[in-house]
Amino acid sequence: MRKMTHWILTLFMMFSLTQVLSANEEEVLKDHFLDKLQEVKVVVQNAKISKEKKFEDVIKILTPTFDFELMAKLSLGRKNWNALSKSDQSRFVSIYTDRMKKSYSAKLDSYNDQIIKITSVVKKKNRMFIKTYMQSGDKGLDVVYKFYKPKKPKIAKDTWLIYDVEIVGISILKADKAQFKDFLQTKSLKELMVALQEQK
Amino acid sequence: MGKINFLSLIVFILLFSMNSFGDDDFDDFEDEVEIKNIYDPFESYNRSMTSFNDSLYIDVLKPIDSVYKTITTQGMRNSVSNFFNNIYFPMHFVNNLLQLKIDGMFIESGRFVINSTIGIFGLFDPAKSQFGLYPHKEDFGQTLGYYGVGGGPHIVLPFFGPSNLRDLFSMLPDAAVSPIDYTQRSWWTITNTWTGLFTIKAIEKLNNISLYSTQYEQIRKDAVDLYPYLRDIYEQKRDEEIRK
Repeated sequence: MRKMTHWILTLFMMFSLTQVLSANEEEVLKDHFLDKLQEVKVVVQNAKISKEKKFEDVIKILTPTFDFELMAKLSLGRKNWNALSKSDQSRFVSIYTDRMKKSYSAKLDSYNDQIIKITSVVKKKNRMFIKTYMQSGDKGLDVVYKFYKPKKPKIAKDTWLIYDVEIVGISILKADKAQFKDFLQTKSLKELMVALQEQK
Repeated sequence: MGKINFLSLIVFILLFSMNSFGDDDFDDFEDEVEIKNIYDPFESYNRSMTSFNDSLYIDVLKPIDSVYKTITTQGMRNSVSNFFNNIYFPMHFVNNLLQLKIDGMFIESGRFVINSTIGIFGLFDPAKSQFGLYPHKEDFGQTLGYYGVGGGPHIVLPFFGPSNLRDLFSMLPDAAVSPIDYTQRSWWTITNTWTGLFTIKAIEKLNNISLYSTQYEQIRKDAVDLYPYLRDIYEQKRDEEIRK
């Protein structure tokens, strides 16, 4: 009987410890995310530096948080990804990453007057979704940042990494996957890479 | 001998797992990033209409929009948008009711009363800024979707852009409770002639363009193929609005 009580207590303690650690993990990521946003805000609102320098600094702040490699891979889909040689896979990742950075830089100006509030943090296994409300003047948007924790930490990357962003329920990853899939029905992977490279 | 067989089995399992390591990311994420197959029997027409709408935007609407932006302030444009949102209250109310979203019904009613009075005929949105009442917009397409009706074939409309059969059909019941009409009704409407209807719809459209032109241009830049990109964005957005 004593042995059984001991086991139940041990299990209970282990369960409680897991819960505490898990709750802490959510808090740690939330704080880390808020710090990043603050860093970006400081750069964007700095009137003394050029637009190019702002872009460079913001990308430097955000690159460790995004898993562009995974995003590139998932946007292409298993079949198309596996059809590429190792060197073309690296080339695709590099083109996709540049495109994401360019797309982000084009939005930089609109971040000037934005207020971002975290509305909730949801954790599911090795995924964490930070739900935010991005307010600009009178209008607001729901934006969800989707994080995952890689099995092995990645070099020069954060512990939790963004693999998708949902803006008013629209996943940027799915939207890319849909357009790439359609493009590849009539054109080749090489042509897709050229088209992505030519985007301004 | 038994030991050797056991070790071989372990080595085999390890080798097998190592082979599948390369596809781990796909195994982990593929379900999550699975894209919906959109029924698109009118693809060729839709592509042409997307090109037409895009050229219309670049060659006609964008220059008009830039003039509109020089003669109006951001605040004025927000007020026009607030005004239209407010007069669509009957549509939001009825569709909340049809979906039995009681809280949405009450919030929309509260918003209408506050914005029509304190918000000066809906030009301002104190219901949101002062009372924390956020919009619960619902239309008949969302009501049908709520009860399980799928989008059906994707259809790109001239001037209005992406839609689908369900949402196209839903314009009729929504128009029946809209205060913008071309005929005389038994209740008050803003307009009761075709000219009036087109003028007011044109103002609403132009104002919407002025508020969302930056987003549209960003979409154009991010697209390697504009039509499927817009189609997927529209269908994802509608699915989310129905899910909410």
